[in-house]
Amino acid sequence: MPPSPFTSLRRRLALAGGRPSDAPAEAAQGRRGDAGYRPAQLLELPLAYHALGSAVAWEEDVAFLDGTQHVELVGYLGTAPVIAAVVRAGVRLRRARRLTASVTAVRRIVIARPETLAQLDPLLESHEAVATDADDPPHPIRDLERANAVVDRVRGDLEIRVAQQFRAGDGPATWLIIDGSLSASPDWASDSRMLGVVKSHASLPFEGAELERYLTLPVGHRSSVFAPQSSRVAPVYAWGLRLREFAGKDLFHGLVRIEAAATDATLRSATLLSRHLLAERAPLANDARSDRLLYGIHDVERFLRAQGA
Amino acid sequence: MLILGRVVATELKPSTPHQFHFWTARDATLGIGTIVRVEGDNRTVYGVVMEGFAYADLARPLDAVIGADGDPANVASEPTLRPEIRLWSAAVLRQLPEEPMQPVPFGGVTLASDADVRIALRMDSYVREDASTGIPVGVYAAGGLSAPVLLDADFLLGPEAAHLNITGVSGLATKTSAVTFLLSSIFQTFPAGKGTVAAVCFNVKGPDLCFLDQPTTLGEDDRALWHRLGLRATPFADVTVFAPYKPDGVNLNTLRSNAALQANVAPLVWGLREVLDYAEVVLNRDDVDAKADALIDFLAERVVGKRFEATELRGAAFEVQSFADLDEFFLAIFQFLEANSRGAEVWRTHHVATIRKIRNRLGNIATRSKGLVTDAGAANDLPWGAFRDRSITVVDVAGVDPLAQDLVFARVISKLREHLERRDLGVDHIVVFVDELNKYAAADGPDTYVKKMLLDLSERGRYLGLVLFSAQQFRSQVLRRVTGNAGTTVYGRMDSDELAMPAYATLSPAVKAKLAALPKGELMLRHPHFTQPIFVRFPRPASLSGREGVERFPPAADLPFAEAVVARLKSLDAAIPADGVRTAIAGRPEAEVRRALSATAQRRPDDVLAFFRGCLRTTIPATSVEPRRGIAPLARDDDDPFAPY
Repeated sequence: MPPSPFTSLRRRLALAGGRPSDAPAEAAQGRRGDAGYRPAQLLELPLAYHALGSAVAWEEDVAFLDGTQHVELVGYLGTAPVIAAVVRAGVRLRRARRLTASVTAVRRIVIARPETLAQLDPLLESHEAVATDADDPPHPIRDLERANAVVDRVRGDLEIRVAQQFRAGDGPATWLIIDGSLSASPDWASDSRMLGVVKSHASLPFEGAELERYLTLPVGHRSSVFAPQSSRVAPVYAWGLRLREFAGKDLFHGLVRIEAAATDATLRSATLLSRHLLAERAPLANDARSDRLLYGIHDVERFLRAQGA
Repeated sequence: MLILGRVVATELKPSTPHQFHFWTARDATLGIGTIVRVEGDNRTVYGVVMEGFAYADLARPLDAVIGADGDPANVASEPTLRPEIRLWSAAVLRQLPEEPMQPVPFGGVTLASDADVRIALRMDSYVREDASTGIPVGVYAAGGLSAPVLLDADFLLGPEAAHLNITGVSGLATKTSAVTFLLSSIFQTFPAGKGTVAAVCFNVKGPDLCFLDQPTTLGEDDRALWHRLGLRATPFADVTVFAPYKPDGVNLNTLRSNAALQANVAPLVWGLREVLDYAEVVLNRDDVDAKADALIDFLAERVVGKRFEATELRGAAFEVQSFADLDEFFLAIFQFLEANSRGAEVWRTHHVATIRKIRNRLGNIATRSKGLVTDAGAANDLPWGAFRDRSITVVDVAGVDPLAQDLVFARVISKLREHLERRDLGVDHIVVFVDELNKYAAADGPDTYVKKMLLDLSERGRYLGLVLFSAQQFRSQVLRRVTGNAGTTVYGRMDSDELAMPAYATLSPAVKAKLAALPKGELMLRHPHFTQPIFVRFPRPASLSGREGVERFPPAADLPFAEAVVARLKSLDAAIPADGVRTAIAGRPEAEVRRALSATAQRRPDDVLAFFRGCLRTTIPATSVEPRRGIAPLARDDDDPFAPY
């Protein structure tokens, strides 16, 4: 197991009278979503399977965006938890079949209640202090959950930032594929050259028979396009895409939700875009989620992790 | 300097003081044998690449199959190429500072420059402006850079270490070419302060070493290599080829028999005395018992070359000078034992069986080594005591019987040793080149005299200035003590079966693979100053190879006896009239002519023909003799009853 990047922070916390801890924070598992239904509006009626035919690789440049977070509970000051995190985001651009780094960004943060941060401030050195809400009395578990939510938000912000930098620099009109939902940013949701690939199905767009139809999408098919009723900031169009055969495996095996700008062009090109994405199944990512993880996204994630904490 | 790679270390592949790993871009210009430099933590480390690895981020081969839907052709159309790593393992050549010895730092890796190569191979300790003992051996080349590699004369020709052994498959001429080039390099760069040096090369195969004094045509690349090493691409200036005669006693047994090249070709002819001192060579182990040894000593000390009186054998004293004389002596003993001594089996403490055995073995030499061993005439030997500085003496024994080859090796090397011990050879250092060590110093098989002699030479020769350059095809099958004593070891292209032997276990698989496919002109070197084997390129020698030599100077056909005598005398004096020679030898026994020819060749007189004629016996004209008159027989008288008839 690699050594923690927060060892010195823990030492300083101890010097400040705190209680160091080395438990991994829950946020280290990545972003979570609440399981539930968010009924979607079908834009191609009825909910049907659309055969895609053979995969077609993009011939033009394509970029991939992802973020990572390394989070640890470094300890407590009194009973208030102190969370430290290294959050990275990056875009890797594929030209002539080779991926190279285009934009990367990193934030090293310490998250705690404001009064705790005030006590720690002289000890933070290169870490950025981010305060959690402090409207209610301290509660170690609740504060920890809030800190984890802050990490998710910081990561989201960082991903938006690198996307902006990429658009301003290397790829103003390059296809940019992100790991996750486009609805996190109005800019993303309206970008006609961005696609979101959502691996998580905690939030499902259909119920009942439609859900069964959605979750039994055959390999090499897409579902009809729908408009998720997102609670987030921007509307997008979406459709299910089965990347790999699921028979004999889990219902979700190889199933991703593709998000694109909410435009008529998206409706027209959903099949072609799906065929492009089918081509991205290869090479197979060396990852437990390889049934849904595009290699390009996997490459960005590995690149960011290789930067170390 | 362009950063080529970066040292990496993991728990499973850590950096150590003797080994490190680094990665490079896929198209980095380096390979097995490349010398690299690492900078980091106030430390400079030089290493040589010994192994290379490449892999992608594939967890299992099955993932590739799944990713390509089972069709290998689909891999080419995958939109993204998997990242690959080029990971190299390097062995440390040198660290600066050398103490304290530490693991290699995680620094940037660059290709070694000329200066780096000099430091990495510790050549800076002996290649200096003021007193260099460096002997160029080849050029290390990698990534567009090239650097001369020099051996330390003190460790090549003694006294610190000595001897060189070269291994390689047959047929590429790498071994012979490498040794020829190295001898040229030694002759050009051996420091004057270290004394004089010459070489004796045994030519044991075809025409390999027969044309060392003849220039060849070198290509641009080879000339550039000679120049890069600071050497003149010229053939050897002082070469003498010694070869025994063929059994006819007048045609030399060598492929350097073209009339144009006879000025520095000399016969190698030995007599009974020369052979008897090395009789042990031609006797097998069972023969050399105490009784045989005693008889040989008796012959050497009391009989051969001396006036030996044995009145019981015959009235006149024996004067044994030749094998024929010796045989006459033996026959006299047998006759004495059988006739006069009524079946006694011992003569002067020597049993008749021992005498018969020694007669048989020594007679065998004269038969099997006919041409080398003369039964009459003077011996013609190497220039003992008169070896010249930077001279090469080629002893061509390629065409003679293995027994005679053993005899030549034993005697020549023993004589070299004797003269070097007395410091009267004519030079201070002598390099002896022996090919086919698999045959002469095999790891298994009987302990022959030649093997013992080579062992002695390799173990003690360096104190005398007697240096062995040896070559063979299979190093693992040569007596380990002979190869182990070689301070410098050279490997050409190797047989893969040979490389599988335990003796090569220290080489990495990649180095073995490189050795198995090493192109002509490239070598792998081990030298006491180099902590790891180094690959170098050496130029083609400036002398004709054996094959070229034979094509340019086709061997002369064997001449009839008379014509061969004419040719031999003409090689001494081209103006000699052939008819005069033919007239002089007409009707004379061949043995007499051979004796006269040998004496003339040895003396090299001003008036060759006159001297030659003088060596022939005076011809006494035949005269008719009248029947001797005796007493007339008695007349027959049939009537006389007392008549004898």
